[in-house]
Amino acid sequence: MTDALIVRGLSKAFAKPAVSDLDLTVRAGELYALLGPNGAGKTTTLRMVAGLTQPDAGEIAIFGVDARKDPAGAKALVAWAPDEAMIYDKLTPLEYLEFVAGLWSIEPRTAKAKAEQLLSTLGLADEARRRCEGFSRGMKQKVALAGALIHDPKLLILDEPLTGLDAAAARLVKDMLQARVDAGGTVILTTHILEVAERMADRIGIIAGGRLLAEGTLDELRGRAGEASGKTLEDVFLQLTAEVHT
Amino acid sequence: MSLPFRPASAPWLLAHELRLAWRGFRAGRKSKGAMVAFAILGVLILVGGVAMGLALRDIEVPIVPLAVVIADLALAVVLTLMLSSTLAASADALYERGDLDLLFSSPLRPGRVLLIRALGLAVNAGLWFLLPTLLLLTPSIVLGHPAWAAVFVVLIAAALCATGVGLLLAMALFALIGPRRTRTVAQILAALIGAGFFLASQYRNLLGEQRSESLIARIALDAKEGRIQPPPFADLPLRAAVGEPLPLLAMVAIGAGVFALAVVVLGRRFADAAAATQGAETRKAARGPTRAFAAGAFQATVRKELRLMRRDAALLSQVLLRVLYLAPLALVMARNAGTLPTASLAASAAAVIILAGQVAGSLAWITLSAEDAPDLLAVAPTQMKVLRQAKLAAALIPVAILLVAPVAVLAWYQPLAGLWTAIGAGLSAWCAGLVHVWRQKPGKRADFRRRRSGSLLVAIAEIAVSLLIGAATALAIAGLLVWAVLPLIVAGALMMALRRTDEQIAAALRAAA
Repeated sequence: MTDALIVRGLSKAFAKPAVSDLDLTVRAGELYALLGPNGAGKTTTLRMVAGLTQPDAGEIAIFGVDARKDPAGAKALVAWAPDEAMIYDKLTPLEYLEFVAGLWSIEPRTAKAKAEQLLSTLGLADEARRRCEGFSRGMKQKVALAGALIHDPKLLILDEPLTGLDAAAARLVKDMLQARVDAGGTVILTTHILEVAERMADRIGIIAGGRLLAEGTLDELRGRAGEASGKTLEDVFLQLTAEVHT
Repeated sequence: MSLPFRPASAPWLLAHELRLAWRGFRAGRKSKGAMVAFAILGVLILVGGVAMGLALRDIEVPIVPLAVVIADLALAVVLTLMLSSTLAASADALYERGDLDLLFSSPLRPGRVLLIRALGLAVNAGLWFLLPTLLLLTPSIVLGHPAWAAVFVVLIAAALCATGVGLLLAMALFALIGPRRTRTVAQILAALIGAGFFLASQYRNLLGEQRSESLIARIALDAKEGRIQPPPFADLPLRAAVGEPLPLLAMVAIGAGVFALAVVVLGRRFADAAAATQGAETRKAARGPTRAFAAGAFQATVRKELRLMRRDAALLSQVLLRVLYLAPLALVMARNAGTLPTASLAASAAAVIILAGQVAGSLAWITLSAEDAPDLLAVAPTQMKVLRQAKLAAALIPVAILLVAPVAVLAWYQPLAGLWTAIGAGLSAWCAGLVHVWRQKPGKRADFRRRRSGSLLVAIAEIAVSLLIGAATALAIAGLLVWAVLPLIVAGALMMALRRTDEQIAAALRAAA
């Protein structure tokens, strides 16, 4: 089976290197958590994968499509949902989804039905025709998530998807992501809530200083860190990232 | 840098307000070109001031009806423009939630917060008039008219008065129509007030009188010929401006009085109103059947941009302002198309074309440069070229709608002139839009009013191309078709110089990001 994402030798520097010679592989149908301390290079990496930032060097292949040579082909397979919702305050959720569906050239009738179904699933059916300007942060995040899902992406990339969500909404989003993976979709997410990664992720990548420190299942990471099997992901994460700083 | 006043004191808070206002002003004018343009304008005003000072060296201003009327009209214009600015700013002040939340959650009294915020509004409104007046009048003051320094005091009094009225109006709107509509209505009202004097001066055209004559020219003529006797106290502004102590004191008392009244009356209500705006943006959900979704990126983008434009109060008020200036011209053209001399018709058509370019440029800036979610477009598999074309089309649609009626009426009476005007207006709008496609620079909708300060080159090019196309159309209507080609060639050359390829646009946007 083709891997969902293959990143090789990816590098990007701004004032100083943000990502250095990064290799990463995400298998199709898995939930991959990319973890790292603040400024580790997680968001820069994902922005390069989503086609928002031009890499200085390296290769990105999404389901076998070379994202640097065929960006439109790669983008058609991906959805990107950052921590700050990319929505328009003066549009209603339904109008927003109409626009996003248009960008991905989804057939209008299919898109409308899908939009209504997504808003209903996310508990936004009553707000579907109300402008987003009065929405809470959590509601805006849900609208953005609906936008990410409307074109049924093969690879869903989420940067801190649970930020600003209350417990019920966070549970709803986690359930949706799990259902997506169960149905064969691929999800990459970053999060600072390590329990979420520990419970949900099939594999975890830990990044610091723009380099991948370790990658694998939780047990594999424990082995890499030389920790006993009872240790939590937090223990493993802190030990691995501490090695970089020392 | 820390502020040189006791923390939480009124001067400290005022200094904070002014620092924010100054940084806001500077943020939109980072380019050297903008600062150079301001400096050149300043020098030109100063040179004019020196010339005026030398010319008026031994001349005293006579307190006669003509001078009184001119002074009253000038003050009325200044007050109107200041009110337009303070009304919109007062409504905005109620909505700056983050800032006001911080201030009202501090131990500061709400009354003091309002006082300082109101003073900030007054300084902002007054400075735009004080600075050029300072440059223009200082030579006269130095060259023998020290009493004329009183003009500055009159301007400060006017700024205080306009701020007081602006705040009272904003709060009255708030009470009458609720927080949600206040900002929209205040923006539109501010535009109407701003254009009020222009419309009043064109009342004869609007009411259908054949002879075109401005209100100000008419009043000046009547006053000169002794047909106008100013009412009592009408000479107060003039006497105050030339430094007579009692009138000056009266002007200050009026300005400060209105300001103080507004601050005292609104002290507590201001805090309540600001608090009430929390969640005020919640609207009722739309009713009726939902529309079918747009097919494809182009149609979806056009639809989205038109929706956003329609729901942007600040943009609507600015476009309305331009349309208000366009209305008298269009009326003159439409009514007199059959009888108007060719030269007048050509000039009016040129004005319509220039305004079409201006409106199109403004809308294109909104659709192209002030995109709220650029990352969403960047991650989509749609070609940027398609999105730009859709955004340009969305900017041109409202311009076309605005022009349909005047051009149709003109074409009814003078088909050829109507055809030239339609072609010229379309070309002018398209070129203004293209300039923004090629030279787009990411900005925020909130910065709409100072969009021109971001790039002097784009601002000048946009106006120059519209002027050239307007001139070409005017020449064509006047029957000088061969001569019309010349400005068109210059406009074409200018457009070619401004043109950027898709790769260059992408590179410029990356650099700006």
